[in-house]
Amino acid sequence: MVLIMCILSACKKPTENIKIVIDTDVIKYTAMINVTDGQDGSPAPANSTITISGNAASNIYELSGKKNIQLSAGMVTIGLHPSIAPTADQPISVIAEINAPGYNKESRQITFSAEKKQQVVNIQLTRTGSTAPPVVTPPPPVYNNVSLTFTGRCPNRTDVEIRPSVYVYFRAAGSNAAFQYLGYMDKGNISTNLLAQNASYDFQIVFGGETYKVNQKIDQTAYNLTIDMPAACNF
Amino acid sequence: MKLFRCTLILSLILVIQQLKAQNDSSFVSLLNKKSVQLNVGTQGIGAEFIYGVLPELAVRGGLNFIPIKANDVFKISGFNSTSNVAADFYNIHAFADYVPFKNAAWFRMVGGFSYFFKAKGNLRVIPSDDYKYGDLVLTEDQIGYVDLSVDWRGLAPYLGVAFAHTFPRKKFNINVDVGTYYLSKPKAKVVGTGLLEGNSSQTSQLQNNIKDYRWLPTVQINFNFKL
Repeated sequence: MVLIMCILSACKKPTENIKIVIDTDVIKYTAMINVTDGQDGSPAPANSTITISGNAASNIYELSGKKNIQLSAGMVTIGLHPSIAPTADQPISVIAEINAPGYNKESRQITFSAEKKQQVVNIQLTRTGSTAPPVVTPPPPVYNNVSLTFTGRCPNRTDVEIRPSVYVYFRAAGSNAAFQYLGYMDKGNISTNLLAQNASYDFQIVFGGETYKVNQKIDQTAYNLTIDMPAACNF
Repeated sequence: MKLFRCTLILSLILVIQQLKAQNDSSFVSLLNKKSVQLNVGTQGIGAEFIYGVLPELAVRGGLNFIPIKANDVFKISGFNSTSNVAADFYNIHAFADYVPFKNAAWFRMVGGFSYFFKAKGNLRVIPSDDYKYGDLVLTEDQIGYVDLSVDWRGLAPYLGVAFAHTFPRKKFNINVDVGTYYLSKPKAKVVGTGLLEGNSSQTSQLQNNIKDYRWLPTVQINFNFKL
């Protein structure tokens, strides 16, 4: 029928330029673990390792669905298998242990509870033998609201778009400061009051053991940003 | 669909024989003549009542419907999927048949309007592989599906020609309509579920792609019984 109709219309293919849009919110209960050097706030060294233990450890996956959990720029998001959910009576806990040469071992209990689907766990490493107090990062200043819509791009599949659900970090563009937590991006959308007008920022997400960045100057209240996410395109 | 095609081919053979038999081109007034006809063609099956209102002009009213369902007729490149296609076109119509040449009474010009109370095409795309997300194998419900639908419901003008006499000279004849509808502006919608929920954002692109899909050509064979 469509073919017959098209003969007279010399029209476009109905599916021309239509993308396949895929969400990444498979894992619903997540925790972003951000490991930093407690003395200067910089990301944990590249050779830092993370180990998850506890009764529920077998049900823990990296945000991209991989069993292999590793830090990238000191960050990793872990979460529960999609068929497992904590209840009000029975939260689910695991232990995250961080090891890095030259630093003391750090362990932290991470609890997934029914009422909190996302959480950020900051772990500061202390250098072996150091007695210096950990650095305290002041909270970022507050501005007017800005909406960001992120679209994940697959470099090898131009017909596919990703709507990422990930934790977003930011810092002033060109700065060597540590990335700060901006917020949780739900299906590509995040609204924040931590961005100043007329300032440029680097935004960072960590997914599938990879770190992805994009830069944007903020002089409007809404932006559509595209970010390469090859780790989300393995299907 | 196979039955439909066989019926169409058989009908065409009958039509050719009938048209050969109707080599009498002499004009006979259509006034106050009546007939009913059953039809089959690209717009499905239907029925019409015809009445002669002037010596050269008859009016007819009727209905047609075509429900089509097909599987796996559509593939998205690089994305293993199954697809279910459905098309439903139901209309009521009122046409006027005019005989322009009295020495060729077997030729008519036809015009009128049709109201499509159902004119919908729907395509459901369902990923067919076990979709792996990292080391997780997802269920069909978690993956979801994408529905692309287009709706042309509304009033549509019709213009065409018809071959063979409006009313049978004896009790029965077969005649043919060839023409086209100009459908209402289509309304497109894309709805996704599960991990494909975000495909709803593709509605405007689909709407733009199909905006010119408004001509609906028809070929229809009529089995006409004189009353």
